[in-house]
Amino acid sequence: MTVTFRLNGEDYRFRDDPMTPLVDILRQEHFLTGTKAVCREGFCGACTVHVDGEAVPSCLKPVGLLHGCEVTTIEGLSSGQEALHPLQAAFEAADAVQCGMCFPGMVMSLSAFMRDNPGACRAEIKSAMVGNICRCTGYERIVDTVVDCLDTHRQTTETAGSMNV
Amino acid sequence: MSELSATVMNLPRRDAQDKLRGRTKYTIDRVRPDMLHAVLLRSTVPAGRIRRLDVSAAHDCPGVRAVATGADAPGLYGIGIADHPLLAIDTIRYHGEPIAVVAAETEAQARAALAAIVLEIEPLAPVFTMAEALQPSARLVHEDWRNYEIITEGGARAGNIAWEAKSSRGDVDAAFARPDVRIVESSFTVGRQSHVPFEPRVAIGSWEDGRAHIQTSTQVPWTVRNVTGRVMQLPPGRVRVTVPPVGGGFGLKFDASIEPITALLARMTGRTVILENSRQEEMATCLCRENAEIRIRSAVTAEGEIVGREAVVLMDCGAYGGEQVFLTTMTAHTLGGNYRVGAMRLVSRAIYTNTPPNGAFRACNGVYNTFALERHTDEICEALGFDTIAYRKKNVLRNGDLGATGQVFEADVLGPMLDRMETLRANTGTSEAKADGRLYGTATTVGTWFVFVGPSAATVNLNADGSATLVTSGVEIGSGTMMQSLPQIVAGQLGLAPDQVIVREADTDAAGLDVGVGGGRTTVSIGAASVAACTEVKEKLLRTAGEMLQTRPEDLLLQGGRVEISGRPGSGATIPAVVAHAQATTGPISGSGAFTAKNTPAMSGCAMGHFIDALDIPVFVVHEAEVAVDPDTGHVEVLAYRVVQDVGRALNPRAIMGQIQGGVVQGLGYALHEEVTITTDGRIAQDNFETYRLPLAPDVIPVTADLYEGAPSMGPLGTKGAGEVPILAVGAAIGCAVARAIGKPVRQLPLTPPRVLRLLHERETQPEFPHIAPGWAANTLG
Ligand code: FES
Ligand code: FES
Repeated sequence: MTVTFRLNGEDYRFRDDPMTPLVDILRQEHFLTGTKAVCREGFCGACTVHVDGEAVPSCLKPVGLLHGCEVTTIEGLSSGQEALHPLQAAFEAADAVQCGMCFPGMVMSLSAFMRDNPGACRAEIKSAMVGNICRCTGYERIVDTVVDCLDTHRQTTETAGSMNV
Repeated sequence: MSELSATVMNLPRRDAQDKLRGRTKYTIDRVRPDMLHAVLLRSTVPAGRIRRLDVSAAHDCPGVRAVATGADAPGLYGIGIADHPLLAIDTIRYHGEPIAVVAAETEAQARAALAAIVLEIEPLAPVFTMAEALQPSARLVHEDWRNYEIITEGGARAGNIAWEAKSSRGDVDAAFARPDVRIVESSFTVGRQSHVPFEPRVAIGSWEDGRAHIQTSTQVPWTVRNVTGRVMQLPPGRVRVTVPPVGGGFGLKFDASIEPITALLARMTGRTVILENSRQEEMATCLCRENAEIRIRSAVTAEGEIVGREAVVLMDCGAYGGEQVFLTTMTAHTLGGNYRVGAMRLVSRAIYTNTPPNGAFRACNGVYNTFALERHTDEICEALGFDTIAYRKKNVLRNGDLGATGQVFEADVLGPMLDRMETLRANTGTSEAKADGRLYGTATTVGTWFVFVGPSAATVNLNADGSATLVTSGVEIGSGTMMQSLPQIVAGQLGLAPDQVIVREADTDAAGLDVGVGGGRTTVSIGAASVAACTEVKEKLLRTAGEMLQTRPEDLLLQGGRVEISGRPGSGATIPAVVAHAQATTGPISGSGAFTAKNTPAMSGCAMGHFIDALDIPVFVVHEAEVAVDPDTGHVEVLAYRVVQDVGRALNPRAIMGQIQGGVVQGLGYALHEEVTITTDGRIAQDNFETYRLPLAPDVIPVTADLYEGAPSMGPLGTKGAGEVPILAVGAAIGCAVARAIGKPVRQLPLTPPRVLRLLHERETQPEFPHIAPGWAANTLG
């Protein structure tokens, strides 16, 4: 069976077992190793990618279900010398990263969450993070960073809004 | 002090951006299409004798390039005693033990070939618990224990007792016989804790110019080098170990495990071989924080003076001795720490069982010994009617007090730290209102741990562009030491900006001996070696500049990337100009430095079988928890958590705060829900993310911390390691707070909801240890 989808903006044709988990294609065929296979059963979130803009664990995604989809990995979020996504930049500035293995998945999950929930409060952010485990940081600095990012975003949109009036 | 102001800062991490972009190549990300994949055949029984092992058919399977068994690497390794084969030889000692390994072109081919291996095992009756292992009639897990090579002398051993460390100071019998004392006795038991680093143990081996090269996710490149040499019976110098960024260690990677197998297969095939643990293998064979059993008795006067204390600590090392052999030492310094005690004797035994071997985990046995000691202290307070905080203030170690081995503690540290906790609490307020009808409890606990000093080496090369290259065997495991404190230290010494300091990844061919990244030692030991290397660099630099500027070197100073004549800012020459001059006249400028423990003495005759008789750098913590317990479900919610941590000197306060938050949360997991149990066939039952319950974001709260500076330390600029101890007293604080909330004695961790409910309804079986003799001496090998 042949599956065709777009991967980080380029067409990709896959001809093998359609049950192959997406994470294996990314890591083994494309050497896109920013997507981490940590638990391989949907609990840790380290393998999160965007499929048509939605954050999904790539370990649970059989490639056969991706026909016609747009897949973005952490490498595609800000490639080459492109600026970091604001959340990545904020994590860097806050010294939030430790071993770093969970962060590509954190960034993919939380960037989609922030886009869809710009008004989220701290408790909502924390509940949204149940699917992204971090063994190093104890989470709070990650949560603080998301809270700050959303605040900044709200302020900029408010200022921009008032300027438009 | 300008050196200090040039060093202390909240420097961000230079590796953060690549990690955030997914570009960092951990060992596990370095698979290449031309590599062979190795897969292990592991035992499916906990104990047995290998009757037949025939791998010839596996050789003939498609894609297979090599098959190895124990016979191919017969050397034994271990800590203290060499008891551990790389692949089982004749005897199976735990479920999951590697027996053979196949290397093939693909992982699928290697797995398929495993099925062709003929293996016949005669099962033996397994010894699963320490109670069974200590029966006089118990089967020996190591029948040959007498014939093992002793690597470190001094520990008593016998049968299933892999190692015994003992400390004894003063007349304990007399103290317990005093008419004016109350005797309080408590027993505790704790389970294992699994590290779950996000990158599992993984190694890539190649064979280059007659030598092994192993790239691996380890905290101890020199141990991997030495163990590979031992098992392959090669001079260790024929092994090179390099370490890419490590995706989490927490102590699990403080010993060699699967790495030498890749070197063996690389030698057999001439190819590069990768071996990685699947998550299931990683968790099923995790070198966990060990399960332990603790009995502690104290003789206390009506005024609260502890005149006598004795304890027996049994530590399950699993099938092989490993770190537990070393860690028996730490009972004296943890159970024997915290408080001023008249006379004291402690024995700590590592016991062999047919279970997966245990290992080191952040603050190791300190975590449960502190839990036991602090709960015992609260039981003393309850029995004698003391206020728990006032009692601690009165009895914590002060300047000049003696530890269990007779070490003299310097300075008042814990006392002032307890005062600082009161200030911190006054500032934050308490959270009792949040209990909202549930059972509320709070506890303030103390802990004693140490910095594991020991040998480190550093070289600093000064480059013509004004940058400096720091070459050490340090590894970046996530704690940030290699990214923050070390470049800060070198920059501060040489008047550079930290981004001008290039930090070389660990390579045993490039840098000198180092005992590894763990035990809070990197900033102290590698930091001190780096300072020594900088001293030599500085001396050469100033000498050259003195010639150039016709000024005496003592009138010159290094700052802002220049050599300046003191008192004349902007004078002198830039470092690149001086380096260029040196290169043309005397040669490139470099310096090397070394550091090791100073071996603080113990009182003679007090410590037996110890790897460390006294602590060179003690580290103290004060932890305070507030909890609410739901009496209907047994669920414990942590309402507030406060820490006062002895850091010596905070070189990067923001990074330390990050370590404290992360360490406390790992401790909360240990205290509340991370549970490892052994099945009836000897497996670790929790071998995936579904069954092992890690802390999640909604479980945690922000930890409030105060960094206590100024306690004595031989570390550079007075620093102490800060990343290991945040976990030390979490089990203690939570255990004590829950005990107070529910009004029942807590003697076991983790405090899962079912256990808390059983405690509330007095249905919990409290630990009793028939295998620990009532008389202390009967628990020692004499
Ligand atoms: S690897 Fe996909 S969720 Fe853990
Ligand atoms: S930073 Fe290590 S797992 Fe999150």
